Amino acid sequence: MIGEIKMKLSRREFARIGCRVIIGATAGSAIIESIVTNSVASEDPPKGEYDWKEHLWGYVIDTRKCIGCGRCANACKLENEVPFDEPVYRTWVERYRELKDKDVKIDSPNGGINGFIDDVPAEEINKAFYVPKICNHCENPPCVQVCPVGATFSTEDGVVLVDYKYCIGCRYCIQGCPYGARYFNTEKGTADKCTWCYHRITKGLLPACVQACPVGARIFGDLKNPESEVNKILDKERINVLKPDLGTKPKVYYVGLDREVR
Amino acid sequence: MQPHLKKAFTLLAIAIIGFIVVRSFIVPVSFGQYGWYRGDAIIDSMNFEIRHAGSATCGEENCHNSIYSIWIDSKHKTVNCETCHGPSEKHVNNVRIMPEPVNDTRDFCGMCHFKSAARPEEFPQIDPDTHGENLRCAYCHNPHKPWFV
Amino acid sequence: MVENLIWGYIYPNEAEIQWSILIVLYPYITGLVAGAFIASSLYHVFGKKEIRPVARFALLTALAFLLVATMPLLTHLGHPERGIEIMFTPHVTSAMSGFGYIYSFYLIIVVLEIWLSFREDIVNKALSSHGWKELLYSVLALFSFDISEKALHDDEKLAKRLAIIGIPSAAFLHGYVGFIFGGIKANPWWSTPLMPIIFLMSAIVSGIALLILLYIVSTVFRKQKIDHNCLQSLAHYLWIFLILDVVLELLEIVSMKYESLEEIDIINRLLSEKIATTFYGVQLTLGIFIPFVLLLLVGIIKNRETLKLIMISISSIFVVIGVFAMRWNVVIGGQEISKSLSGTMTYVPVFYSIEGVLPAIIILIIPFIILIVLTKILPPWKDMDKGVE
Ligand code: HEC
Ligand code: HEC
Ligand code: HEC
Repeated sequence: MIGEIKMKLSRREFARIGCRVIIGATAGSAIIESIVTNSVASEDPPKGEYDWKEHLWGYVIDTRKCIGCGRCANACKLENEVPFDEPVYRTWVERYRELKDKDVKIDSPNGGINGFIDDVPAEEINKAFYVPKICNHCENPPCVQVCPVGATFSTEDGVVLVDYKYCIGCRYCIQGCPYGARYFNTEKGTADKCTWCYHRITKGLLPACVQACPVGARIFGDLKNPESEVNKILDKERINVLKPDLGTKPKVYYVGLDREVR
Repeated sequence: MQPHLKKAFTLLAIAIIGFIVVRSFIVPVSFGQYGWYRGDAIIDSMNFEIRHAGSATCGEENCHNSIYSIWIDSKHKTVNCETCHGPSEKHVNNVRIMPEPVNDTRDFCGMCHFKSAARPEEFPQIDPDTHGENLRCAYCHNPHKPWFV
Repeated sequence: MVENLIWGYIYPNEAEIQWSILIVLYPYITGLVAGAFIASSLYHVFGKKEIRPVARFALLTALAFLLVATMPLLTHLGHPERGIEIMFTPHVTSAMSGFGYIYSFYLIIVVLEIWLSFREDIVNKALSSHGWKELLYSVLALFSFDISEKALHDDEKLAKRLAIIGIPSAAFLHGYVGFIFGGIKANPWWSTPLMPIIFLMSAIVSGIALLILLYIVSTVFRKQKIDHNCLQSLAHYLWIFLILDVVLELLEIVSMKYESLEEIDIINRLLSEKIATTFYGVQLTLGIFIPFVLLLLVGIIKNRETLKLIMISISSIFVVIGVFAMRWNVVIGGQEISKSLSGTMTYVPVFYSIEGVLPAIIILIIPFIILIVLTKILPPWKDMDKGVE
């Protein structure tokens, strides 16, 4: 008995639910439409003077010039509010020393910010050099590929940025970056990385690390401008990129790269 | 279809529609403006505060004109003022805020100049143990024009 | 102190291990889910009658673990409150973005499947009880109390269809967890197309083993006789999947060593210094080789039910531990080698911390509590106990 009454009741209820479903479905499809139109990429650049369509940034590192002073890594931390006392770096300097017995010693104490100490006597060293490292702002960035929510992205002018207000902090991008260029910012609770000082380059300034380099080992410029210093070097020198086999197509080009450097 | 199944599927449909509605409210408006990301994030990145003003700013009139003019023809012209003096954009905007005091120890000059096997040979390097009698470098060299001895 | 944990050169940003023990738990738990579900569909889809006693219990187990599968992930996020973005704006090129949808889809399937196979009981309980119990079961029955022959038949048909969808989605749920690691070209220890299928096989293995253990424990608690037929057939499937599992795992190592690419030095170092015990000792010997031999004996020996019971229990325990070691070796092992390929670091688990061992233990205990509650609400045993008592 009770069951029957309940069933009747439920039938009426069901009709009501059915009505609601129809209304909901129409509303839902309207909403889906609005989402779709929203996600069609707009052609207009972000507002302001700077037009990102006119630029494609590129970076050259001349390892033959680097003196390993680490002022670049220092300036970067100060410019970009990178936690100064934590072992996280947007750019750093590595030292490679091939000893006479063919052993290769690589190090980068505190990213080179405090300079390097000569702990191996010069007589034992075969060859030695410094290599500055920085985010490669790949054309085909694995970190952007793996971000599950779209919190990191390539801009039109070729810079890979992080959206600190949207990043969920899963750190998949840190795992995905073959160059170790990303780190977890414990203050923000998000992933973080070099932006090539996007706030500077969009105002016509140089990235802090480039400005700080005393020997011109770091050169920054516009690949779309044939007159830029970066393009002149790319046209003249023999250049290489890091881990070319991974197909990431880096936009940081190295002059005088040794085979030991990965 | 059996009524209980109809009910179950209705519940499911309601949940899905509810999800779509909530989603449309929560996803930021600028998401998808240029690609699969929040368009406003670019503005956020552009608006980040600048810290390094650049050497040219120091040389502006009524400022460190004289230091700038000797620095600009010196061997140290490639060494930015802020590389030694620290970020100074705040100081440029408000002269009352002084930049960090400069680090004038031997070790600081040594980061660039102490002898090191990994440095390019043509770069001027000195042996910290023998050069300059353990005095502050600025005692003999002018940091703004090292050959001012 | 940090220096002692590092050997060779690592990129400065790598000093901290990013994915901690919680991320080891995540593939482990989803693996148990997928395995338990596939075990139950041996009955529901493939009609293996001998597994009937555990079929419904397996579904509840899958649900209990599924409900906590998101926990280690959310705890680990830098911004857990933004976690839902993975459903709002899933970035399709990311292997991880599917998680929200695959998980929800699978949850719906499991819940529906459970609802359909327990509906008769639910309705009976709703009609026979009073007070809040009546309300609870009526809500669970969605206030529809039709358990006529026809209705039940329809339910069964739908349940079977759902189970058929459920198998690929269980495989997907877990195979895709493997892809999260296998698709990372930056990491030579992870980057292999075999990863999804290895994950899937070890998932099935761990799921079946867990089911065996839970079944044995629950019969002891309920003071019932064990259905040896069911147990041995589960053990049989466990054995088959163990073979597949070991073949794939060895294939991966052998091909890595045989091809000897650029990264072989660091991989060798990883295997011989960093994870030697957990890999060769726990994952391969304890987790695969010993259970393999024991289960082989179970297949050969005639009668002697108690001995077989002991051997099956031991191998199941070993398998469950071994698969955990396997997850550990993948997740932690992969992060212990530097992407510069010239150094290693060491993961030192902390106990009291949000990402430490304590929350991991808590998260591992919760599904058992959920399972106990679930079996209280929906006892999966009813028709088996009738005869034995
Ligand atoms: C190589 C490092 C270095 C660079 C580059 C440098 N300075 Fe200095 N500066 C110093 C040091 C060291 C002192 C402290 C001098 C002393 O103790 O005698 C100093 C002192 C000063 C002072 C205060 C002392 C005074 O003479 O009144 C001013 C102002 C100054 N620098 C401006 C500049 C400007 C402007 C530039 C860029 C054009 C610049 N500096 C570049 C190292 C540097
Ligand atoms: C950021 C790196 C840097 C720092 C810090 C620095 N220098 Fe220099 N210094 C250079 C560069 C670059 C040159 C130019 C080298 C060249 O012309 O090849 C140079 C040139 C010199 C020269 C001229 C060498 C020559 O052969 O003509 C002297 C002397 C000198 N520096 C002294 C100092 C003193 C003293 C200090 C500390 C106050 C100092 N430097 C700090 C980078 C630095
Ligand atoms: C006692 C005065 C004195 C002090 C102190 C002193 N120098 Fe010098 N420095 C000289 C003189 C004189 C020369 C030129 C003769 C020479 O090459 O030794 C010179 C030359 C140099 C050169 C050019 C060397 C070359 O091969 O071209 C550099 C670089 C240099 N000094 C850096 C420093 C640094 C860095 C310090 C601080 C650690 C320092 N000096 C301290 C007197 C001094």
